[in-house]
Amino acid sequence: MTECKTGAALSRRRFLTTSLAAGVSAAALAAGTGRAWAAIDLSGREMVFASWGGSYQAAQEAAYCNPFMASTGALVIQDGPMSGSKLRTMVESGEPIWDVVDVTDTFLFANEELFEDLDFSTVDASALDQAYVHDKGIGCIVWSYNIAFNTDVVGENTPQSWADVFDVEKFPGKRALRDRAYPMMEIALMADGVAPEDLYPLDIDRAYRKLDSIKDHVIWYSSNSAAQQLFADGEVGVGVLLNGRTFDVNKKGAPVNLTWNQNIRSIDYLVIPKGAPNAEVAQHFMNATVDADNQALMANTLAYAPVNPAAFDKVEDSVVPWLATTPENAEKGFLIDAAYWRDNLGPLTERWNEWKLS
Amino acid sequence: MTAGNRTLWLLIPAVLLIGVCFLYPVSWLLQRSVSEPVWGLQNYATIFSRSIYLGVLWNTITIAGVTTVLCALIGFPVAYSMVHARPRIRKLLIFVVLIPFWTSILVRSFAWLVILQRGGIINDILTGIGLIAEPMDLVYNRFGVLLGMVQVLLPFMVFPLYAVMARIDGSFFRAATNLGATPVRAFFRVYLPLCLPGLGTGAMLVFIVALGYFITPALLGGRGDIMIAQLIFERIDEFGDWPLASALAIVLLVGTGLLFAIIKGVSKLRRGRI
Repeated sequence: MTECKTGAALSRRRFLTTSLAAGVSAAALAAGTGRAWAAIDLSGREMVFASWGGSYQAAQEAAYCNPFMASTGALVIQDGPMSGSKLRTMVESGEPIWDVVDVTDTFLFANEELFEDLDFSTVDASALDQAYVHDKGIGCIVWSYNIAFNTDVVGENTPQSWADVFDVEKFPGKRALRDRAYPMMEIALMADGVAPEDLYPLDIDRAYRKLDSIKDHVIWYSSNSAAQQLFADGEVGVGVLLNGRTFDVNKKGAPVNLTWNQNIRSIDYLVIPKGAPNAEVAQHFMNATVDADNQALMANTLAYAPVNPAAFDKVEDSVVPWLATTPENAEKGFLIDAAYWRDNLGPLTERWNEWKLS
Repeated sequence: MTAGNRTLWLLIPAVLLIGVCFLYPVSWLLQRSVSEPVWGLQNYATIFSRSIYLGVLWNTITIAGVTTVLCALIGFPVAYSMVHARPRIRKLLIFVVLIPFWTSILVRSFAWLVILQRGGIINDILTGIGLIAEPMDLVYNRFGVLLGMVQVLLPFMVFPLYAVMARIDGSFFRAATNLGATPVRAFFRVYLPLCLPGLGTGAMLVFIVALGYFITPALLGGRGDIMIAQLIFERIDEFGDWPLASALAIVLLVGTGLLFAIIKGVSKLRRGRI
């Protein structure tokens, strides 16, 4: 952990220099912009922030942790990567070492007993879209599964619906699909003509009948990086890919793009594990993550969408079309039913594995 | 105290290591597998009644078994060449065999993807020279999994074989041919039996390590190429289902143990016959 501490201190210094260079001081920002979290003095206090590592956690460090450290004086130590089993084990043992953790919606919904209630007198969630607020967690990003395609492979006739993605005559060759029941059930049903509002409860048999029709025309991926490679190299013409991953490949120059039609949105939550040693600091930290400026900073780096509508004013024009929560993009898709998946993930995953073996 | 007993204390570090790092966790797994959610064998009943668990166990044993055979077929000539090569060539061969050990398994698997995919080097060359009209599916199937695993596990076969072969006296083979055996017969009746200890050790190492693979089948495999480690990981990471995951781990452990008891028994019988 010593290394992490040095890392955090270094980036804090880096943040301070950059904000000074921009002629913006954190204290000046704090005054008069409703940034209550920034006015609190937490010097000498610390907390541990755990997330998924890589460029994602680096962006969170820059967007949430550094401004929080600069304004409050608290030290935020980076740790991770997040692992469900590790988190569950540390909470059950009664001695979690993480204070704030980034978890997926299904993990939060399936394990609510593992987390502290948010203190909404400290965390001001009033400005947020309430669809992304949970008693135990604040939605930190919204991401989506999208229909993605490589224009070198498919030409100008790009897929417009999941039915197109499942149409092996219109789009011959392999397609890249996610090797998980979540969200393949929704995708298969929409491809079979079910409207998003009629999806739940899912008609599982119908979904598998639809999947049977294309099962030999698919590369099933379990790694998002591998999926990016498939699209970038033109190994597949069409398929499903996360919006942020599509943005990333596209930005690097590959002829890969997406449509927002029938997008499936999901949320990552920040939560406080039950018994977290620095829960009080963590509650203040939560308040910093809902800040519009901080959320905009996150979006500008990785194109994962803010949950605070006020953040959109500060997102760069070139990034806005990639975000899952802009009104135009959001109305073309729907938010996945995390409560349904909480209740059914176990049996549906078993059935998924059985289907793969068949 | 006899001389033998006096040196027993040398085993203490090993016994402690095995006790703390193996026996304790395994008994913990065993206990969780029969005590949750209630005492009983319900987790084992689940495994043996659901096609998914039996199917994946069978997959795992087949993939590990075929990997072992392929490693033996490829590793034998490599080890033989290493023994009989000049020192400089031998060093080069050792280096080449060891390279996969020094590369991260993720990097290696991604490298295979780039080489094997439809637009990859191999398909480009083969279609370029007109040998095939359409690119072949070399990855996202069983072939890709086996290729990736054989490459990684080959050193486990080559080095035990090399160690045994280097000690085989060449005059045995010459004596056999002098006495009228054809080279093929001399190889199968004299040389190969002398290599068996190395082959056995290598096969055991490759097979056991292969049983636990999960990154390679996840990245290079197709729809049906699920191995047991992937299921165990999924049960724990996704569902926190320690009892079922523990039962799966115990089944794998006991299954492997049984398999080796059988192999040991068979080879003893054979030795008795000779």
